[in-house]
Amino acid sequence: MLLQARKRGGCLSASPGRNALAKIVTGIEGFDDITGGGLPLGRTTLLMGGPGSGKTVLALQVLVCGAITRGTPGIFVAFEENALQVSANAETFGWEMGKLQENVLFFVDACVRPDVVKVGDFDLTGLLAGLEAKAVEMGAKLIVFDAIDVLLSLLDDPAAEFRELYRIHEWLKHNEFTGILTTKIEENQAGTTQRYGFMPFMADCAVLLSQRVNDRVAVRAVRVLKYRGSAHVLNEVPFTIGPTGLEVGSSSGVHPEPQPFTERVSTGVERLDAMLGGGFFRGTNALITGSSGGGKSTLAGAFIEAACRRGERALFISFDENSRDIVRDLATMSIDLAAHQASGLLRMEAVRTEAASSEEHFMRMKRVIAEHDPRCVTVDPLSALARVGGGLAARAVAERLIYLYRNAGITVLFTSLLEGVDPQLETTPLHVSTISDCWIQISYELRDGERNRALSIVKSRGSNHSNKLRELLFSDKGVTLADPHTAAGRVLIGASRPGKENAA
Amino acid sequence: MNKVATEVNHPKGAYVFRLYLAGSAPNSTRALANLYAICRRHFPNSHRIEVIDVLTEPLRALAESILVTPTLVKLSPAPEVQIIGNLSHEEEVLRALGLPQGDNS
Repeated sequence: MLLQARKRGGCLSASPGRNALAKIVTGIEGFDDITGGGLPLGRTTLLMGGPGSGKTVLALQVLVCGAITRGTPGIFVAFEENALQVSANAETFGWEMGKLQENVLFFVDACVRPDVVKVGDFDLTGLLAGLEAKAVEMGAKLIVFDAIDVLLSLLDDPAAEFRELYRIHEWLKHNEFTGILTTKIEENQAGTTQRYGFMPFMADCAVLLSQRVNDRVAVRAVRVLKYRGSAHVLNEVPFTIGPTGLEVGSSSGVHPEPQPFTERVSTGVERLDAMLGGGFFRGTNALITGSSGGGKSTLAGAFIEAACRRGERALFISFDENSRDIVRDLATMSIDLAAHQASGLLRMEAVRTEAASSEEHFMRMKRVIAEHDPRCVTVDPLSALARVGGGLAARAVAERLIYLYRNAGITVLFTSLLEGVDPQLETTPLHVSTISDCWIQISYELRDGERNRALSIVKSRGSNHSNKLRELLFSDKGVTLADPHTAAGRVLIGASRPGKENAA
Repeated sequence: MNKVATEVNHPKGAYVFRLYLAGSAPNSTRALANLYAICRRHFPNSHRIEVIDVLTEPLRALAESILVTPTLVKLSPAPEVQIIGNLSHEEEVLRALGLPQGDNS
């Protein structure tokens, strides 16, 4: 099959041909990616999903986006909630429904009265005649039928349901309307899936929205089941419902290749810069790993402070630690973040790991980056993501996060906790070390009754980095690195240095 | 078919109906015939029927939230009752209208 050949798991390979299907851009970035440019123009799209899966929001968002960005008039037919409720819900996403309803959008209250009595056969001719007249009056070409299953259930007869759905479909086609139908489907109930199983066959494009719980964390996902005449991403793609509507984690596999920088960015620690051949490359990502209390956050703070001192906008994302505590702790080591926070250069973003899925965290970080527009970012620790939303999902999120920063030319420093019994295993929970440009490892040396910190560079792409182990020292003067003393083939740090035997 | 009204001189306790139809669609034609028959048999000389064709007055149907055709609305006496369908079962129609069964039949 030609169509089959054009589809590939995960990525869009086909470029639009001469007779490419006309589409309406949904304005939802990731969704436009997975549908190869939006929903089919002049055709019917079916949005399916369980209760609370986001069908109504998606349909509304397409309608509102068209109205705001292109002034496209549209009609929303609400079968389940009354039009006022739908409109009020939409307001919570910052969409000015009042203004839009004056000019371009029309909401039809089509809730079936609970006390209505049914005697004999009926059909939807009345509604469609009304909608058609309204559409002509407004010049509307986009019509949403929200919760079509509620209307169909009124018929209470599979044959009649099929007939009326077919009537709607033919009516949309005849009028060249772009139709969006939403319907409830309980994924785990064979009954409903079977009952409305004919729906996806009829629609030109069918999209399934789902909500699952992985490791006690709710994860939303969207999948394009079919798309007549168009290539689309076959995979399930995660999405969230954020404060401005749906945000779909695109996985189109197409990434712009930003021009690599040759400029170096200071780590905030002079000797570390020297070890790296001048610091991190601008626009790359670095990873600092180490066990708890190793000083990862302190190095992250030093990096951020250095950025602010250069006058660059910076962002400090911390998981499960208060911003104020971080600022206070770092101040004891002469790392002053408070001043930069006050000047507006630095934004501290404290996040509770358990409060959201890894996907939601990703979307939030993306939003914050868009708002603050930083040049340097630290995420402390990135490994927190591994705790929410299942290993694979979190890994994918971590990877996308790295691409997000890379594409934006942002220099980012991640910290990651090394877990497990043996810190020498040097593996990170998210396996990001392989795609990191630079990897710095902090370890403890337990010897002679002391616990000392040692720093080494595991890798640094494109740099002739030092292979030496350094002792990492924190004091009220700041962060310094000291040469270890080598004697008799042994590396000596801390008290084992000659002349330091009596050190406290 | 538009606005066919059967006016009858019986001011007290008159039944006032509004029937929304879609032109001469089979269900619509059937509903109208069924309604006439019910009225003749049960409320002779005390009913009024207003017929609205949604195909000629589509915006009105939309404004009045008429989703399906045929739809019958009993406006008076209170309470208002809405019945959808072609009214093929007389007994069910009478029950919906709140009429005691067996009277006048």
